[in-house]
Amino acid sequence: MDVLVNNLPILAPIFIIQLILIIVAIIDLIRIETTNGPKWLWVLIILFINILGPILYFVIGRKRY
Amino acid sequence: MNQWSTLFQKELIEMWRNFKWVWVPITFILLGVSEPVSSYYLPQIIDSLGGLPEGTVIEIPPPTASEVLIQGLSQYTTIGVLIIVLSTMAIIAGERKSGVAAMILVKPVSYFSFITAKWAGGFLLLWVSLLIGSIATWYYTGILFDWIPIDLFFQSYLLYGLWLTVVLTLTVFFSASLLTPGIAGFTSLAVVFVFTLVTGPLSNWLEWSPSQLTNYANELLLSSAIPDDTLPASLLTLACIIILLWLSVFIFRKKELAS
Repeated sequence: MDVLVNNLPILAPIFIIQLILIIVAIIDLIRIETTNGPKWLWVLIILFINILGPILYFVIGRKRY
Repeated sequence: MNQWSTLFQKELIEMWRNFKWVWVPITFILLGVSEPVSSYYLPQIIDSLGGLPEGTVIEIPPPTASEVLIQGLSQYTTIGVLIIVLSTMAIIAGERKSGVAAMILVKPVSYFSFITAKWAGGFLLLWVSLLIGSIATWYYTGILFDWIPIDLFFQSYLLYGLWLTVVLTLTVFFSASLLTPGIAGFTSLAVVFVFTLVTGPLSNWLEWSPSQLTNYANELLLSSAIPDDTLPASLLTLACIIILLWLSVFIFRKKELAS
């Protein structure tokens, strides 16, 4: 626990921006009409694949027009 | 000019609506920052994975600050390139496919402003994301290792940005001249890959090659002196960018008139 508290100032910003990325991806997923592949699958990918999940969603998951 | 700024604003709004302004900078931050953080915590990571066997004497020398910063920035030439290409490959080909391009171009809009406004949108996104990402990397390198002089950092940032602009322009070019986003993306990646691959072993002869710019940036960070060939290489790179942009307008005009 001590280690965690000491390193919090270093690691906290990283966790926060990761969280922002996940939230933005989820908001976009809710608002978008259709995605490439089933929507529920993208929810799982965004939530459970660290960092890479939301990025993958933005790059290949969004259907253009 | 007025027309151009309208198109440019349309581009910025579109990038805002599909959250490019959020996820590209965040990705660049995470890409760059992961390097100083993971090299800082390497001893703890090794320990938590069971540690080295009893009695092994492996001294892992702590990397210097400039090495760490170079490692962090070099992420942008691999995964960063991938993200730039994938996020801009549909910039023109996608609009042609969906019919938006046709809808804009029936109005008296010049092909030149259509393409350059799109390119400028991508350009702004790239430089802002790279700035945020590399400043975060520089900051983390500073607090975890050692501070690197900010003027050195900015010079290498400019060189990295110039090389990534070549990648961006290449993608816009292929997006304008090829019909589908996927093929455009694949071709740009292949060209960038071959380009870096050829420049690597022939670096003694191809001193002015644009993909050398990142190597010069690394040398700059290590030795804190600007390598001799940086200026001609940058000028050649600027020329490449302008020619590619001009070619994409030219080819796009021809294709649109033909179809």
